[in-house]
Amino acid sequence: MDGYAGNMVSVDLSAGTVAITPTPLELKREYLGGRGFGIRLLTDLVDPQTEPLSEKNTVIFAAGPLTGTGIPLGSRYEVTTISPLTGTASSANSGGVFGWKMKKAGFDAVIVTGRAEKPVYLLLDNGKAELRDAAHLWGKTTGETTDAIVNELGDKTVRVSCIGPSGEKLVRFACIINEKARAAGRAGMGAVLGFKNLKAIAARGDLAIQAADEERLDLVKERVRTKIQENGIEKALHDYGTAVLVNIINENYVLPTRNFQTAYFPNAESISGETIAKTILKRPKGCYACIVQCGRVHEFDGEAGEGPEYEPDWAFGPDCGIDDLKAVVRANNICNEYGLDAISAPATIACLMEMAEKGYVDHPIRFGDAAGMLALVRQIATREGIGDELAEGSYRFAEKYGHPELSMSSKKQELPAYDPRGIQGYGLATATSVRGGDHVYGYMISPEVLGAPEKLDPFVTEGKAQWVKTFQDLTAAIDASGMCLFTSFALDAQDYADLIAATTGMPIDTTELLRIGERIWNLQKLFNIKRGFGRSDDTLPARLLSEPLQEGAPAGQVWRRDEMLDEYYALRGWDAEGTPAREKLRELGLA
Amino acid sequence: MSGDGAVTNGTESGITVTVKSFATFREVMETQLVLQLPGGATVQTLLAELTARYSGLGGMLFAAPGRLRDYVNILKNGRNVHFLAGLDTPLDDGDVIALFPPLAGG
Ligand code: SF4
Repeated sequence: MDGYAGNMVSVDLSAGTVAITPTPLELKREYLGGRGFGIRLLTDLVDPQTEPLSEKNTVIFAAGPLTGTGIPLGSRYEVTTISPLTGTASSANSGGVFGWKMKKAGFDAVIVTGRAEKPVYLLLDNGKAELRDAAHLWGKTTGETTDAIVNELGDKTVRVSCIGPSGEKLVRFACIINEKARAAGRAGMGAVLGFKNLKAIAARGDLAIQAADEERLDLVKERVRTKIQENGIEKALHDYGTAVLVNIINENYVLPTRNFQTAYFPNAESISGETIAKTILKRPKGCYACIVQCGRVHEFDGEAGEGPEYEPDWAFGPDCGIDDLKAVVRANNICNEYGLDAISAPATIACLMEMAEKGYVDHPIRFGDAAGMLALVRQIATREGIGDELAEGSYRFAEKYGHPELSMSSKKQELPAYDPRGIQGYGLATATSVRGGDHVYGYMISPEVLGAPEKLDPFVTEGKAQWVKTFQDLTAAIDASGMCLFTSFALDAQDYADLIAATTGMPIDTTELLRIGERIWNLQKLFNIKRGFGRSDDTLPARLLSEPLQEGAPAGQVWRRDEMLDEYYALRGWDAEGTPAREKLRELGLA
Repeated sequence: MSGDGAVTNGTESGITVTVKSFATFREVMETQLVLQLPGGATVQTLLAELTARYSGLGGMLFAAPGRLRDYVNILKNGRNVHFLAGLDTPLDDGDVIALFPPLAGG
């Protein structure tokens, strides 16, 4: 008993077969689970030259050893594949209940290769796995798909992770949704499943998940529970959801507005977490075993759903120049129903808005047009009209019309809700992110804006490279463990190491934890290098390096890549091109 | 904005600052107010004025006298006063001071 379910299932969609094998000890020891399993298995099974939308690409669903063990916020699973948006080895993380159910059904990981001739779904059922016909589910939204599977199995304990129509239509930023509103959101995972004709994975089961040392785990659980409960940050997440960030990011003058043309949105209050709590919030909601409950259940004017999280709230709001909360929430719900990444979709619309205003594209949409924005989300979701072009992502769209510089993306993935010009370390983290434009592979906003675990000056570049490396490695390990990243506001590396050691019985201390994270990071990097990525890709849109911010405290600043990148590479043990040196690979057991 | 209010206790040579509060601070104080303070006032002067006016605020701001709670952030015109002179940061006429309790998201 080591916290793992014990088995993995390999599904060959072309052959229509499933094969169940024990989860290898070495994989657990070196990569823990989640993103670690995903990157290792992708590396082992897939030629790096593989086209993302091809039979040969492989998708790995993996939970971690802490997923579903009753540890507070131990709820996550991770999906890993080659992204059709960025071309990088990418992973996306989701909470809810599905990860726990996957393990209760008997599986630490599901490895999907090939392409089915007709739509199918995979049923994981108490240690068994089978492919089932999904022709009747094709074209259905994520909510309809979930209900249909639960009904046909006649079992309300079944949990479903699926794609919507956007994944079927191969929208390059289609996502995967479980329990109707939790998303493995980024990097276009949904398009890869759509290409493979895999509509859903359903899980049911009640197999035991036991820790190596239950007594010791109980003690550590109690300690982390207290730390989380007593942490003021976690309380704010419960009271106001993640959109509590809107005001603090705006008041710091780093809330990207109108496609990053400015970084202050005068009407931010109208879409803030505080306003959501006062107006449309019905109740907070949590993932499996969560005592924080940052999720929002909303209801108004016949609209019901979950969210919005901070990122889509910003992207449909300030980034599109929109201050109409209800329109933002509707747009977010469309993304959940159709299975669209609710960062990339609105950020691509914001890119179109700027191009249309500048006359580079002939389209009537303008910043602030909420009705027009809603129409565009629907068009992207089903690839209708201009939506077909926008479904390629902002970079490919802007490039087609001769202005790639107006895509606010890194490695072709749209940037999240922070302006790097006023947050230098965050800029380095997102520019070097191995999955492209991103905030959760190393959340530097925490020290540079929120002051946790300590306050770092966001305008300063000195010392940031070391922080970024540590955050990236620790996050990779947390993602591999199955814990929600939001625990990191209250817990430290020692807490995670103790949780993992008690659960798995493996000798994991803080040094080993960070080594595992660093191993995952380097392996992901190596895969990308083989796909042709190098130093010139570790950057941000030219606007952020050359057009200074105009307002507030960070006025006059640009993002200063050159002051940090060489130091970052050196600290990582990489050469000037960003390639890991042999010594580093040997140290990590990768050579 | 709801709960706007004003206090006038400054001197002729005083300064006027705008204070904004966020998240749980709004449970004990107004969302936005304009205050007149004596010339030479600092962030500390302002917080003393506010904690006298709003019971409950002091405990939310301070871990001990003169020491802010972890993760409380105070911005002066968008700049965290931690990187200026902390509680001794001087205030100027027209400043906007934003008060944030511990919070995060992502
Ligand atoms: S903090 Fe939020 S995202 Fe994390 S487990 Fe809880 S509800 Fe889910």
